[in-house]
Amino acid sequence: MPSFDVVNYSLRANKAIQRSLVFEAVRVLQANMNLNDLIFVGLGSIWFADFQIAHKFLHLKDLISIEATEIGYRRAKFNRPFRTVSVKHGLSYDVLPDLLNQTKLTSRPWFLWLDYDGVLDEDKVEEFRNVIERLPPNSIFLTTFPATASKYGRPAQRPRRLRRLLGSVVPDDLSRDQCDDNHLSETLLNLTTDFMIAAAADSARPGGFVPAFRLAYMDSVPMVTVGGVLPPRGATGSVRGLVSSDQWPAVSPYPIITPPLTLKEVAVLQAQLPGDKRLTRKMVKKLGFDLAKEQIRAFEEYYLYYPIFAEITT
Amino acid sequence: MIKSKKANANPTKAFFVQMITRDIALEDCILDLIDNSIDGAWKLQGAPPMRLSDGTNLNKYLISIEAYPDRFSITDNCGGITLDDAADYAFTFGRTDAEPQEKYSIGVYGIGMKRAIFKMGRTIKIRSTYKKKKGGIESFAVPIEVTEWLGKPERENWDFDIDPDAALPKPGVDIHVTDLTDGTAAAFGNPSFIQKLRRTIARDYTLHLHQGLHIFVNGEKIDGWAVEMRSSKKFAAMRLTYRDKLQSGTVHVEILGGMAAPPPESADPDEKDEKESRSGWYVACNGRIVLASDKTSTSGWGTDDWPKWHPQYEGFIGLVLFSAEDAKLLPLTTTKRSVDNSSEVYRRAMPRMRELSKQWIAYTNVRKQTIEEAKELEEKAKPIAIFDVVQSKSAKFPALLPKPKRKLTTIAYGMSPSRVRSLATAFGDINMTNRNVGIKSFDYAYAELAEED
Repeated sequence: MPSFDVVNYSLRANKAIQRSLVFEAVRVLQANMNLNDLIFVGLGSIWFADFQIAHKFLHLKDLISIEATEIGYRRAKFNRPFRTVSVKHGLSYDVLPDLLNQTKLTSRPWFLWLDYDGVLDEDKVEEFRNVIERLPPNSIFLTTFPATASKYGRPAQRPRRLRRLLGSVVPDDLSRDQCDDNHLSETLLNLTTDFMIAAAADSARPGGFVPAFRLAYMDSVPMVTVGGVLPPRGATGSVRGLVSSDQWPAVSPYPIITPPLTLKEVAVLQAQLPGDKRLTRKMVKKLGFDLAKEQIRAFEEYYLYYPIFAEITT
Repeated sequence: MIKSKKANANPTKAFFVQMITRDIALEDCILDLIDNSIDGAWKLQGAPPMRLSDGTNLNKYLISIEAYPDRFSITDNCGGITLDDAADYAFTFGRTDAEPQEKYSIGVYGIGMKRAIFKMGRTIKIRSTYKKKKGGIESFAVPIEVTEWLGKPERENWDFDIDPDAALPKPGVDIHVTDLTDGTAAAFGNPSFIQKLRRTIARDYTLHLHQGLHIFVNGEKIDGWAVEMRSSKKFAAMRLTYRDKLQSGTVHVEILGGMAAPPPESADPDEKDEKESRSGWYVACNGRIVLASDKTSTSGWGTDDWPKWHPQYEGFIGLVLFSAEDAKLLPLTTTKRSVDNSSEVYRRAMPRMRELSKQWIAYTNVRKQTIEEAKELEEKAKPIAIFDVVQSKSAKFPALLPKPKRKLTTIAYGMSPSRVRSLATAFGDINMTNRNVGIKSFDYAYAELAEED
């Protein structure tokens, strides 16, 4: 079942934070790399949350959404938020090669975000390689997929599964522990990044692949977002400089695991930030409620992006 | 009539550098530098004959390689280059007749270091610290600015400057290369290249690593491959040694091989995995593996009276070790990435290799018809290290009696890999072979739809 039949995308705090970080990062790239004519390509579902931001925040005009199922396609067409959003019917695996054959589309850089519901598999890995080989210079490519450990086989089977999926970049001594519930997101972020760098290097892309997106978040299941920039020859150094800055928003060592908070809790916590010292559990208790240590750290880290949802009743 | 003159036939530096660096892979250049370090360590150990089980201990030697997009370095504690050797031999392009050949060395042609550094980059510094014969240590550095050196008039000599230098922590060599060429920088930034380099070092220096040598790549220690043979009452590997006497010296030859892993259940290429790809013939010269998992005519497959390699033969590993005091007698190519097929020593070893290969081929042919019995016997065969294999002129495999074949029909169909993996996961093993997913799905469907209660 497609995820849009299950969840309303607009009500997921961690997803919303991750999205904000990604778009803010792309805005930095836009400003520094003169990327005003990006074409946004994504898997828009029927909510088009990313497309709304791509148009309103980044001012991108040409937006293409790919929808796999017949019903999804019809609903997506019905719901497209702007005139310049076009919806393509089919699997991205089939549709993207067609789009990448159209000169009018490949004469401009892309912002391609493959945000999947399903775990990493052979088709996706092959798709990553294909797009990294063929995207126009200056394109931005990122992908999001679940990092649910059990979906990558039983504990003992996971290292071999990842080796088979991602090939030679996977170390021979990848351990079972690196693939357990606590570490799989980190491992997938590392290995997928390495795979993308290798795919660009193997196909001798003149500017290579510069990793720029590395986020883990919890969205009912653990998810990872990974990707980077495909600069033209000569621009690699400047892109590297941008993304290695302390201010770069889309690479974070902390998973985005903020809890659902009430408006009152958000207001009280926000009133303590930014602080000279880190918030502690003791301090939160003193404020009148309680949160786990990791949740406090995540909120501190991402409070600027924490969304407020409200129900409107008439 | 003109006056007799001489035509200038001297090579230009640019041509020379281009020529020596073109036909070698970057990875092999790094291996050449490791070879030099190992030769240094071997010399310090008294240059004993290189044998499979010779007890040499290289535990105190360390080679550290750092390969990043902006720099390369290799540092060792293997004794260093002496000032005399640096002045007279180490920087000449090719070995001179006057140059003494180290005993049981891997370096033969005197080109490895120059070829490696010129291939990698344009700013180079080679530092060496060594113990003087009369006691004490001495250090020097050879800085090379390639662009500047190439720009000097051709008529000037090709020499490099040797400068005094601070001592390294231990006698050894330290080579730093910066201003890397585009291809080198891209390769060193490619995680796949670095992982493959680690795997190649683990494989090609497995004998030295087993003797205790420490090699690090970007701070990560490399463990040598554990090459093992399956052994039981029914299975035994071949291990034979002989001396091949040539006019200019003797080559010690050791041939070893047999079942390293049970063969695959089918010849389906989808079922290959990383371990199976280790199968084939290996050739080592003075301990360094120069031909690995070979399944081509280089090691005889597909040549006269010897069938071409087939996935059915997976599981076989054969190893030939040539060692000689004078490395020139070994069947090495200049890149050390293959064997010289025209070498008499190698050609004389091939009939024995063929015998072993044929034994394995015969076993895998009969095995197909008695698969259950064969698998049971193979399971009982336990892995033993190649160093522990006892001498035997031929390998031993079970004598299986072919049973009359049940007539079977084959079902073949294509399916998206992700759907096959989903079904494999549902059957309990995400890594299940495609073949077994097919068989299990048939059994499942048969039980549900066709089996009578």
